[in-house]
Amino acid sequence: MSRTVLVVDDHAGFRARAQLLLEAEGYEVVGEAADGKTALAEAARLRPEVVLVDVQLPDLDGFDVASRITGDGDAPAVVLTSSRDWSDSAELIVRSGARGFVPKDQLSGATLEELFR
Amino acid sequence: MKSLRLALIGIGIAGLAGGAISLAIAASSDHAEDVQIGAVVFTPLIGWSFIGTGLFAWWRRPENRIGALMTAVGFVWFLASLITSDVPGLFAIGGLFSALPYALLLHMLVAFPTGRLETRWQRILVGVGYFDTTVMQVLGVLFLDTTDPDVCTSCPGNPILISDQVVASGIAYGLQALIGIFGLSGIGILLVRRWRSASSAIRSALTPVLLVGVLTAFLLGLSLIGDIAGFPDGTGEDVIDILGAAAMASVPFAFLIGLLHSRLSRATAVSELVARLGEADRRQGMRDALAEALGDPSLSLAYWVPEQGRYVDAAGHAVELPARDGSTACTPVEHEGRPVAMICHDASLDTEPELIGAVGAAASLALENERLNVELRARVEELRASRARIVQAADEERRRLERDLHDGAQQRLVSLALNLRLASSKLDKDPAAAKALLEETTAELGEATSELRELARGLHPAVLSDRGLRPALEALAGRAPVPVELGEPPAERLPPAVESASYFVVAEALTNVARYAEATHAEVSVTRANGQVEVEVSDDGIGGADPAAGSGLRGLADRVAALDGRLEVISPEGEGTVVRAVIPCG
Repeated sequence: MSRTVLVVDDHAGFRARAQLLLEAEGYEVVGEAADGKTALAEAARLRPEVVLVDVQLPDLDGFDVASRITGDGDAPAVVLTSSRDWSDSAELIVRSGARGFVPKDQLSGATLEELFR
Repeated sequence: MKSLRLALIGIGIAGLAGGAISLAIAASSDHAEDVQIGAVVFTPLIGWSFIGTGLFAWWRRPENRIGALMTAVGFVWFLASLITSDVPGLFAIGGLFSALPYALLLHMLVAFPTGRLETRWQRILVGVGYFDTTVMQVLGVLFLDTTDPDVCTSCPGNPILISDQVVASGIAYGLQALIGIFGLSGIGILLVRRWRSASSAIRSALTPVLLVGVLTAFLLGLSLIGDIAGFPDGTGEDVIDILGAAAMASVPFAFLIGLLHSRLSRATAVSELVARLGEADRRQGMRDALAEALGDPSLSLAYWVPEQGRYVDAAGHAVELPARDGSTACTPVEHEGRPVAMICHDASLDTEPELIGAVGAAASLALENERLNVELRARVEELRASRARIVQAADEERRRLERDLHDGAQQRLVSLALNLRLASSKLDKDPAAAKALLEETTAELGEATSELRELARGLHPAVLSDRGLRPALEALAGRAPVPVELGEPPAERLPPAVESASYFVVAEALTNVARYAEATHAEVSVTRANGQVEVEVSDDGIGGADPAAGSGLRGLADRVAALDGRLEVISPEGEGTVVRAVIPCG
């Protein structure tokens, strides 16, 4: 149950809170990144099981990051998150190869876990 | 005008006398058959026809030099005819002047119909003509012994003979003829080009002049070639001389026809235009009618819109007048002393300012009517543009709001939610950490609330709708970073749209004062008088504000214009800025 996570968001505050929250529920945050390119490099280096990506990043957007990371077979699962509501855009999320979308204010170990059932 | 007529009558009498004297001298001459000035019988006829038609042209178009040139050709022709005199002095004067009429004639041809030499080549070629017929002529005469039987059988002696150098004289005359042939060829090319590039209206006036002119120049050239190379037999030269003289005699009549034709075509153009204007449908009809009247398919019209201070096309779109680059020229049309429109036409029509003037005058009433239509279209066009800008501004405003909400309140609420969840997960194991998280969360909640409040006030200040302009302006002044002196705004409530516009004018102006003006102090006044509200914000800053540069002032101008008001920004460099809005308020 102790999944490894890479947190990608340009707000340091959110990265810190997400780490506290996820680790309180048994996840292991192995790294973080503030933009899309760093995220791709860190995902390749750290090989986490889950990459939690904010949709809005300074360079690439979360959908691009998802489609690049999920290219090969044993790639990590990408979970998109945002304070905007993307739940209407299911097709966009599926096309990007992401596992799913979690609104930022509903982020918790439990909501993440639902996507892996 | 009267003195001109008297002067012309005087010149005419002198011309008649000159011709009579020339005729008398030729009739009593011992050597008239020997001199090379064409057939004697043509001499007074040619002189008189030049002087007569020249004076007529001079009288009808005094500003045009062609008339004076034609008259001059006649008189010089009479001077040249003195060569038939048996008196040596007069004989020599005739000899010196005998070539000059041709230079004047060519000058006239090149300068027709304006009387001006426009291009460098025109001036050079005409200059060469004068050089060839004066300096070269004098050189030839200085060395010609006219008593030499090979030159002339019964001529008087040459009083300015330096020495009898047949060879030198021959070289001078040969050189003169050679220069003449080259000059004539150049002028021929020039004239053909002119004819080809002329507009159809001008072409019809040019045709008779150029036909006869080129024919005369050609015959003159042939006779010069004959002088150098010699004709195969003696008769050829006589025939060409007689033909040349006949062509020369017909030149002034060709000029007269040309001048009359342009006058006739002007009358026709104007009357056809007036007829067409009655039936012309609007918009392009006006342009087409003028284009046809002036024979210029490239013609375009620009109407003056005083309200916008610029020219617009028939559809009401703003247009730049074409630069005066030599290919296009614009002539203004006025109606009752006010500018109505610009007729932009081919520059070649500049040679007929009277034609354009007459056509413009004939069309001025119709143009004024059309201008009013166009002004209306321009206003509609401006309305359309401002409506588009308002929609665009609304779009931008919504985007900005979404961004502000997302970056501000939404982010804070997200972190609030996460903090609360974190706190609740720690409540059992680590109550102290949970308490700290809750305190942090409470502080963040306060910030979120104040950001939302700020945003809501930016949308529309509640104090304005609830309590009116004065307290709203007091609040604005209180928040400004520089001291703001607020005049006494109207105590009564104004229509909501007027209150809003006034408020936002002051808000935007004070924002600009804070951002750009480097001011130490600002004044705000809102006054209501004569059915309108005047809002004025002035500062003592650096000035130089450009209302076209930012979207803020532009949007304000649209907002004020939507209420039939107007916004002006007076901001000279270094002298502070005044933003003033005047809004009707019945």
